[in-house]
Amino acid sequence: MPRGTSEVSEPMYFVLAALRGGPLHGHAISKSIQELSGGRVRPSVGTLYGILERLNERGVIAVDREETVNGRNRRYFRITDTGQALVEAEARRMYEVASLVLRPTTT
Amino acid sequence: MTALERRYRMLLIAYPRTYRAAHGDELIDVLLASARPTQSVPAVREALGLVLGGVRSRIAHLATGSAWVDGVHLGVTAVSAANLAALLPYAGVLPWWTLLSALAMFAVLRGRPRTAFALTALTGAKAVAVAGGWALFDLTLIPVAPTFMTGDFLFQRGGPFTVALGYAIVLLGLLALVWRGGPARVRSWWWWPVVPAIAWAGPAWMPDGAPYALSLSRMAVEVAVLGLAVMAAWLARDPRWALASGIYLLVALGELGSHADALTRQYVAYWGVLVLLTLAAAIVPYRPRRHCLD
Repeated sequence: MPRGTSEVSEPMYFVLAALRGGPLHGHAISKSIQELSGGRVRPSVGTLYGILERLNERGVIAVDREETVNGRNRRYFRITDTGQALVEAEARRMYEVASLVLRPTTT
Repeated sequence: MTALERRYRMLLIAYPRTYRAAHGDELIDVLLASARPTQSVPAVREALGLVLGGVRSRIAHLATGSAWVDGVHLGVTAVSAANLAALLPYAGVLPWWTLLSALAMFAVLRGRPRTAFALTALTGAKAVAVAGGWALFDLTLIPVAPTFMTGDFLFQRGGPFTVALGYAIVLLGLLALVWRGGPARVRSWWWWPVVPAIAWAGPAWMPDGAPYALSLSRMAVEVAVLGLAVMAAWLARDPRWALASGIYLLVALGELGSHADALTRQYVAYWGVLVLLTLAAAIVPYRPRRHCLD
C-alpha cells in the first residue's frame, strides 16, 4: 500500500473494512481481518485494541453495545459515517492507483 | 484460572490500571479465544503486542491535560529526584535533611506543589549553605563524609551555584504550578528507584584523579529516562516530554558550566548525548504524519 498523507494504515483499513458488514467484537474483528487479507494481516491482540481505541477516539468507529459473556465484558464496535466515508475514499484512491498499472496499455 | 490466563494477566500490567479495570477482561477473552487448546505459554507475538500496546496506552494516558503544566511538573520531578540523590549518600550524617528532601520529592510525586515548595525551599537553603560553607538552621561539620554509595564528600565536586541552580529550577517550576492552581498529576512510584541509581558513584570508569567524575549509573539512568521521553514524544506527538527534558538539561548544563575548565571529550560527549536526546524529544512530535489517522 503506497504511503501518503491522506491514507490510513493497512491494519486500520482492514479493521474498517471488517466493520462495514456490521458491529463486531474484538475476536470477530481479528478473524475477519485475517479472512479479508488472506491471512496476510494478523495484528496481535495488543495491536488490534490499540487500533480500535485510536479509531474510537477519532470518531471513525464507535462502541455499538456491550455484552457480558462468561462473566467478561465484550464491546461490539461499529463503523461511523465518518469511518465509512474514509474507508470508501481510501478504496477509491487505491483503485485509481492500481488501475494505472492493471488497465490494458494502449500502444 | 488457567496458567495461560494467569500469564496473560501478568503481561496486562503493561497497561494503565484504569484501562485494565475497564477492558482487561475483554482483552483476556480475545487472547484466550485465539489460543490453541493446549497452549499454556503466551505466544511471543501476543506478548510483545501486549507490552507495546500497554506502553502506548500509558503514554496516551499521560499525554492528556495541559502539556506545559505536565511538562513542568515532570521536569520538576526529575530535578527533585536528582536533588534527593545528591543528599542520599550522606543520610547517616544528615538524616533529617535527607528525610525532608525525600518528603519534598514525595509531595512533588503526589502533585502537591505548595507543600513541595515549602519543603524544597527549606532543604535547598540548607544544601546551598552546606555547599557554600555557611552555617544555617543547625550546626553541620563540613566536609560531610559519605555513609554509602560514594567516596566523595558532600558537594565536593560542585559549588553553591550548581546546588542553588538545581533547587531554584524546582522552586520556579513549583511556583508556576501553584500560580496555575489545583493539584498536579500524581506521578509513578517508579521515580523512587531512580534516586539510588543517580546517587551511586560507581562503577568507576574515568581515570583516577579526574576533577569531576561522572557516575556511570547516573549516566545510564539519564540516557534511559531521556530515551523514554523521546519515545513518548514520538508516539504521542506531544511536546511535554521535551519541556521536561529541557528543564533537566538546564541543571546538567549548569554542572557542565561549573567545571568548564576541566572538561575532556568524555564530558562533552556525555552532555552531547543529553542535548541530542532533548532535541530529539522536541522535534519528533512534529514529524510528518504517515496517514490521516496517525
